[in-house]
Amino acid sequence: MSKALLATLPLPVRLLLALVLLLLVCFCALSTGSVPIATSGLLGLAPLNEMQETVLWQLRFPRLLLSLLAGAGLALCGALLQNASRNPLADPYLFGIVSGAALGATIATIVLPQWQLLTPLFAFFGALLAVFLVLFIGASSRWQRLESLLLCGVAVSFMLSAITTTLLYLSEPFAANRVMFWLMGSLSQASLTHVALISPLVFITLLLGLLYRRQLDALVLSDESARSLGVNVRPLRLVILLLCAAVSAAIVAFCGGIAFVGLMIPHLVRSLFGLSSVALLLGSVWLGAVFLTGVDTLSRILLPDQELPIGVLTSAIGSLFFLSMLFKYRRG
Amino acid sequence: MDQTPVIEFQHVQLHIDQQQILMALTFAIQAGQFVGLLGPNGAGKTSLLRLLQKEYQPSSGQIKFQGQPLNRFGQSELAAKVALVSQLSGPLFDLTVADVVLMGLIPHKALWQTNTEQDLQQLKQSLELVGLADKERHSFAHLSGGEQQRVLLARAVMQKPLLLLLDEPTNHLDLYYQHQVLRIARALKVTVIASIHDLNLASRYCDRLLLLSKGQLVADGTAEQVLTQNLLTEVFRIPCLIDQNPFGDCPRVSFGYKDNV
Repeated sequence: MSKALLATLPLPVRLLLALVLLLLVCFCALSTGSVPIATSGLLGLAPLNEMQETVLWQLRFPRLLLSLLAGAGLALCGALLQNASRNPLADPYLFGIVSGAALGATIATIVLPQWQLLTPLFAFFGALLAVFLVLFIGASSRWQRLESLLLCGVAVSFMLSAITTTLLYLSEPFAANRVMFWLMGSLSQASLTHVALISPLVFITLLLGLLYRRQLDALVLSDESARSLGVNVRPLRLVILLLCAAVSAAIVAFCGGIAFVGLMIPHLVRSLFGLSSVALLLGSVWLGAVFLTGVDTLSRILLPDQELPIGVLTSAIGSLFFLSMLFKYRRG
Repeated sequence: MDQTPVIEFQHVQLHIDQQQILMALTFAIQAGQFVGLLGPNGAGKTSLLRLLQKEYQPSSGQIKFQGQPLNRFGQSELAAKVALVSQLSGPLFDLTVADVVLMGLIPHKALWQTNTEQDLQQLKQSLELVGLADKERHSFAHLSGGEQQRVLLARAVMQKPLLLLLDEPTNHLDLYYQHQVLRIARALKVTVIASIHDLNLASRYCDRLLLLSKGQLVADGTAEQVLTQNLLTEVFRIPCLIDQNPFGDCPRVSFGYKDNV
């Protein structure tokens, strides 16, 4: 559906459509899988057997909440980072957050196997380490420009990836496999604890993003222009970066590497709803949640008797999306 | 009547990377004056405007705003009183014209406050003032450079400033809008400091001109006092002639070489 067509619909109709799509995806996520649950069962109209009860409440429900939250969080971070850095390619990957998390997880699995249960914690601190490295090097460079921060992000990302790859190369194959699988992303370990840990971060980030909507809009034009409107550009950018680092680190720590959501969803939202920060942030949260839940459901049913890593699917869809955008621009 | 100058420079010097950009500037600007900053490239016009935005700090000397040291004003407090219209490189992401103009409310709104009916009325009036009333919902990035400049002027109007800084406001504009933008700025009845390359526009619209050369203030006064043949030839390194602008009571400057080669 094009932006023009969407714009012709009144706001309540658009909101209703969004809600219907969200409910539909949630419904599919809860009912589909190796143990099918009928609509009547989900709506409480028919009794569920013990197996269905367990699958629904122990597995699918926490997984649904986590997929909604992770999709919303990653897309929100992408939107905030892209606007705050005025870079359409900015996402948690560009600032080394995912490489840092990967290094943390690798150290927990390979170097300190006795700490393996704490992999998410190691991944979280790995991601934070990456952001601090980026900020430290970026802030100490003489120019202190936005470009230096982005270049530092790329450099730190590659440096941490190189260390991770070396550790994987030197480790025993079984452990390396475990890390590789983690890096491909999965929501199969979802629990309500994960949801409880990630949700406050996502909500606080969204709330701050909405409160600072005008300031975020002003940043899109130029730093000088934003400053002339009273926006404290550097502190605002720093807070956004740190919040996004915390959100993405928490998501990557529990779900592994899920690429392209943070990059792709904000672009799609811009083309559908426009770019003022309120539309962008709320749209990204909604579409990110719908997208990742849909993809997670697909990842569970595409192959018989096994799951596809979700990161593989998001990367595949993301790359196709960007190619289609490229062709659209060429034609347009 | 309060005679405190809006802006006062007291022996202000500015160094950037050990290079002296501005040398011991001393002048005061009274409320309501329309001041043109003139000078060749690198004379220090934009740096002077940036000092007023607190983007640069003077290496020595003091700048006062409404009688108070400029440094006492926080970024947000300053933005509620000083607006800037400067050059923009094309924005990467697209906003609507209304989004951009409404940014002018940032210094006056708390984070949680939404736009009122009065704000939207003011948005319409600001856009009407710059001749873009029909472009409210248009994409800002797709406007011409001149239209973007006028949107930024509308944003500055929305900011309700006491002091309006214009950094080469007539670049990108066709003749009609070059005059229009300066007429609008004059009509706002606020203090204006504008860096202008076109000396004839400056002569026509400014009450007072400051001529900068290599970081020094070489002339300060009315158009008749500043736009003199010898001074302009020396500062701009190109022969010039001064006569009377037939449309108004102000000097007209013509530059050029006689052989035209």
